[in-house]
Amino acid sequence: MSNKLNLLNLSTAAILAGSPLLAAGTIDVAIIGEPDTFDPMVSTKDVVSIVTQHFVETLYTFDESWSVVPLLAAAMPEIGEDGLTYTIPLREGVTFHDGSSMDSADVVASVERWLDVASRGMAIADRVESVEATGPSEVTVTLTEPYAPLLSLFAFSNSAAAIYPEEIVAPQIETVIGTGPYRLEAHEPDRYTQLVRFEDYTQPEGAAAREQIPDEIRFVPVPDTNTRVEGLLSGQFAFADSLPTEAFDRIEESDAAEPVLLEPFGWPIFAVNHKQGLLTDLDIRKAVQAALPYDDMLFAAFGDDRFFQTEGALYPEGWTWHTEAGTELYNINDQEEAAGYLEEADYDGTPLRILTSRQYEFHYQMAEVAQMALEMAGFTVEMAVVDWATLAQNRDNPELWDIYITHAPFLPEPALISTLFATSREGWDNPKKNEILDRFTSESDPEARLEIFAELQEIAYEDVGFIKVGNFNALQGQARGMTGVAPSPWPTFWNAEIAQ
Amino acid sequence: MTSYLLRRLVGMIVVIFLVLTIAFILVRLAPGDPAALMLGPDATPEEVVALRARLGLDQPIVAQYLSFLGNVLRGDLGQSLFFNLPVTDVLASRAEPTIFLALFSLIFALVIATPIGIYAAYRHGSAVDQTSISSAMLAASVPSFLTGLIFQRYLATDLGWFPASGYGGPDADFLDRMGYLILPSITLGITNSALILRFTRASMLDILGEDYVRTARAKGMSETRVILRHALKNAGIPIITVVGLTFALLVSGAVVTERVFNLPGLGNLVVNAVLRRDYPVIQGTLIVVATLYVLVNLLTDLLYLTVDKRVKY
Repeated sequence: MSNKLNLLNLSTAAILAGSPLLAAGTIDVAIIGEPDTFDPMVSTKDVVSIVTQHFVETLYTFDESWSVVPLLAAAMPEIGEDGLTYTIPLREGVTFHDGSSMDSADVVASVERWLDVASRGMAIADRVESVEATGPSEVTVTLTEPYAPLLSLFAFSNSAAAIYPEEIVAPQIETVIGTGPYRLEAHEPDRYTQLVRFEDYTQPEGAAAREQIPDEIRFVPVPDTNTRVEGLLSGQFAFADSLPTEAFDRIEESDAAEPVLLEPFGWPIFAVNHKQGLLTDLDIRKAVQAALPYDDMLFAAFGDDRFFQTEGALYPEGWTWHTEAGTELYNINDQEEAAGYLEEADYDGTPLRILTSRQYEFHYQMAEVAQMALEMAGFTVEMAVVDWATLAQNRDNPELWDIYITHAPFLPEPALISTLFATSREGWDNPKKNEILDRFTSESDPEARLEIFAELQEIAYEDVGFIKVGNFNALQGQARGMTGVAPSPWPTFWNAEIAQ
Repeated sequence: MTSYLLRRLVGMIVVIFLVLTIAFILVRLAPGDPAALMLGPDATPEEVVALRARLGLDQPIVAQYLSFLGNVLRGDLGQSLFFNLPVTDVLASRAEPTIFLALFSLIFALVIATPIGIYAAYRHGSAVDQTSISSAMLAASVPSFLTGLIFQRYLATDLGWFPASGYGGPDADFLDRMGYLILPSITLGITNSALILRFTRASMLDILGEDYVRTARAKGMSETRVILRHALKNAGIPIITVVGLTFALLVSGAVVTERVFNLPGLGNLVVNAVLRRDYPVIQGTLIVVATLYVLVNLLTDLLYLTVDKRVKY
């Protein structure tokens, strides 16, 4: 293209679009949808976490190696010898976006609300005896029994134990006020959420610095994957989340953007109905486990081995929680062995109902390969392919499915994996597993917890608590030359900088 | 005339009532739960039940319908479940891109299609006629999402002539926002120009064969005068009908184009509302679109009066 044409293009674009070129100091981020709330306590959606973590903060957070570090807390808590009391010192001089200062009363009110309204808070509410202000800048949480994952829960941005001013704490919060490095400036539903630098922000010690480099961060909901790719490649967005892997080569070849591979991002899951139906029989669960061709399913779903790994361990190699315990039962891919289990179970041909959706095409592609293998083993398979809204409703009714397909990112703490708990919608209520899980959540020694986690992974395989299909990578994209954004399922932009 | 208008008005009310009733029933017949979607993947069934109660979704369907009807009569379309805002506010904020997109596409389609249609009829059977007919067939056959994707990739991403998507950030003024509509308008306009072109051509062909056109020519009138004064005026009614219908279709049919270009208009809103199961927004959009449809139809019929003095109601 000639220079003349280039100039013409630039000026036309600037006139037409009010400059789609990246304005210095503003980071435009394409996200997959509109956050329906700015209160991260009441939602477990990733898109809510991604946006709100910039203006709402928690007592603790995770560093790059997923260790818990203080954020609004001044230091790690002092834990009583019995593991029941957590005395948390608070940072002084922290200001909310409404100008008020944070103190222990705000923290008590917020944590109490979290125990009342947040999924993850409610799950542990009966283990919490009290949350008390034991000084203007000190809070003490007393438990009824030791619970080691408490700090991870306090650090997680999803169903977050966010800290709000006491004055706004209510069952429903209309306008969220936080302490984060950015504050909410404007929100046009389905168009953008505009955050601007919070000038009175005080840097945390311990947690990674929030340098507040961009003047503004704008989150733009772009539900269509192809539109996110084009927006990124045309320079409209500095970052685009969740891109189709087919776009990898095009992004790599582009002058405007570069691919960011989150390797690995998470794991596709075949969630198993333990409450009622066919899979309450262990032999039939084992038949499913033995019949599935995991590598073929992953290949069908992701098309290219740059984007998946055939790995049975619940945490990938390189993670603290990685263990091979029980994984000999992963990827057996033996339909004859599966047929043997079916015979032992006197399987009568009752259809195995797989609930899935094409919202995530890879779910559906895995289900199709799984169906073939299961039918080869002797199963009658009934696929219910519905839209995501229907799946989200039907999976709460155990009468309607035997397996539903979902996926999850690798969570920093195994106790955050909801399907491990008997109270989850899958209802995996094996007494031996429950005993191991209890030990795991109440043990505070990290080394001992690793050993117990190995037992937990082993029983997940032996009892077929759920089926992990493998690891998959997620593709994100960013403007070429952008720095300061670490690959994460919940990327942050306070340190983002684009070389001019 | 007055009795005609009255009859049309009653008809309109019946149509709108039917639309809102069918919309109400259909959205609730579809499986899927807004509460489960709003709370996210790790919400417990108990939380979902509690949110359903808070949103009023646990009430009997008949009670929900009656309260919905009562509210609509007062001009209240309800509260969006997802945005927690009045539906009328949500719709009002989405009207601008959709209305201007429809308007620009229509102007684009008319500017392209009418002259070509007239010329093709005038030069009936010539190469120009054949080419225009085949191009129109092609334009009508390629779905607008494909045209949109091609334009987006080559004209926006590769050449940078237009913004690839969206409707501008917080600092975009009215003109900036209209800039975002150019490429989507061309995309949508091309498909619709085909229909207008074919109607204009067919209608002109009929008229050009009429006796009075021959008489006009025999009187020695210039060709331009024959075509513009005599023929086009009489070919007007079918053209106005198709233009009216196209405009109504554009407002309701911009769904795909708005999706591809991520325009925050009514089309995109209704798709999102279906995916989110935001019942009040789905119902509200359908009511507004149905009202617009019948109004445009009425307006088209009234326009006949001015175009053709022989028409009487």
